Amino acid sequence: MNFLATSIESLGAKIAGWFTVGYGMFAFLAQAMLLLLERTTWNRATFDVVIKQVYFTAVQILHVFLGYALVISWLIISIILSTARDFGLTEFASEMTIRVLVLELLPFLTALFIALRSGSAINTEVALMQVNNELDALAHCKVPPMQFEFMPRLIGGVISVITLAGLAGLLALLMGYLAIYGLNAAGFEPFTQTIAKIFDFRIVAGLIVKCALFGLAVTLIPVTAGIETPKKLFMVPVSVLRGMMRVFFAIVAIEVVSLALKYI
Amino acid sequence: MLAAVAALSDDVARVALDLPLRANLSAVDNIALIPLYQGHYSAAESGVRAQALLEQLGHSDIALLRDPDMTPAQRFVAKLARALILKRPRLVIDRPGAMLYDVPYPDFIRQLAAQAEMTGTWEVYDFSWNQVLYNQALQKE
Repeated sequence: MNFLATSIESLGAKIAGWFTVGYGMFAFLAQAMLLLLERTTWNRATFDVVIKQVYFTAVQILHVFLGYALVISWLIISIILSTARDFGLTEFASEMTIRVLVLELLPFLTALFIALRSGSAINTEVALMQVNNELDALAHCKVPPMQFEFMPRLIGGVISVITLAGLAGLLALLMGYLAIYGLNAAGFEPFTQTIAKIFDFRIVAGLIVKCALFGLAVTLIPVTAGIETPKKLFMVPVSVLRGMMRVFFAIVAIEVVSLALKYI
Repeated sequence: MLAAVAALSDDVARVALDLPLRANLSAVDNIALIPLYQGHYSAAESGVRAQALLEQLGHSDIALLRDPDMTPAQRFVAKLARALILKRPRLVIDRPGAMLYDVPYPDFIRQLAAQAEMTGTWEVYDFSWNQVLYNQALQKE
């Protein structure tokens, strides 16, 4: 009986903890959104930090990311083409390539890439700022941490995931064309027709929304996890661990919901 | 004493161990943040103002150093410059011994105060057992 009560208590505490974390994240997001609408937010200082964030998150890694997207795309396209040939479904190869790679796999991998590279760095940095009192020092100097430290990271994350996923998608389309038709211009018309058939307004809007949500997940969750860190240095790795687990679950959840909305 | 310092109002600029510099910014960038956000100056102009203040304090050489690369005295100067650029009527230095353990600090602070030519008052909060250090500095004068 005692064991049952303890289990229920522990489960209740966990659920309450999840709700608290979720509430904290949405409250933070709402605060950031409201600040976005304020004219005073868009001063030169905030704009400069946003540019810096986009540079660090997207531009600095562009060559590595495109190389990685190239290899992944080439492999997946080769697998799809070879399977389609085996089953005599070559005419569906281009559509399959676009649906699997451009709409699903590349945005997902882009989000994972940014999460591992920038999300973990953001989580660690914010946690260290919290532990070292740097946020209090900024507040003392009346430099708003939300505008100077957090919001630029959220905006940078969203812009970076959308643009990197877009670039990877374009690269995959090019690779797909080359793999299916080679350097022959004859395939241009059917290929572009397939693209036009797949990319209707609903799909394009869905893709952009999905990438924006990925971008938010890989920045908002690490920032809030960092702010939650108790002021003890040994809690920083725990904060990063928690933050990155939440990011992973959020990315998977966004992908699953997007697939369910599209195909079920 | 700690409670009194913590309860200081918004018109006080504090230099304290518990108000560190942003670790990933250089000294000049830490100082330039204030005119950038409060004065709405451009990044370049804010940098110039921050650099000028460091020069005024006689420590322009620390401009590009980040917090971990500074000595305790250099870190103190960067924090002091950040507090000075806030242009608040009172400046409180909270337990300088905790920040300036590499220099005889009453003399060091006195020299900085002479160079800063700052309007307003500087107040030093320190433990009573350090009073002897201030007495020694006064006797030297």
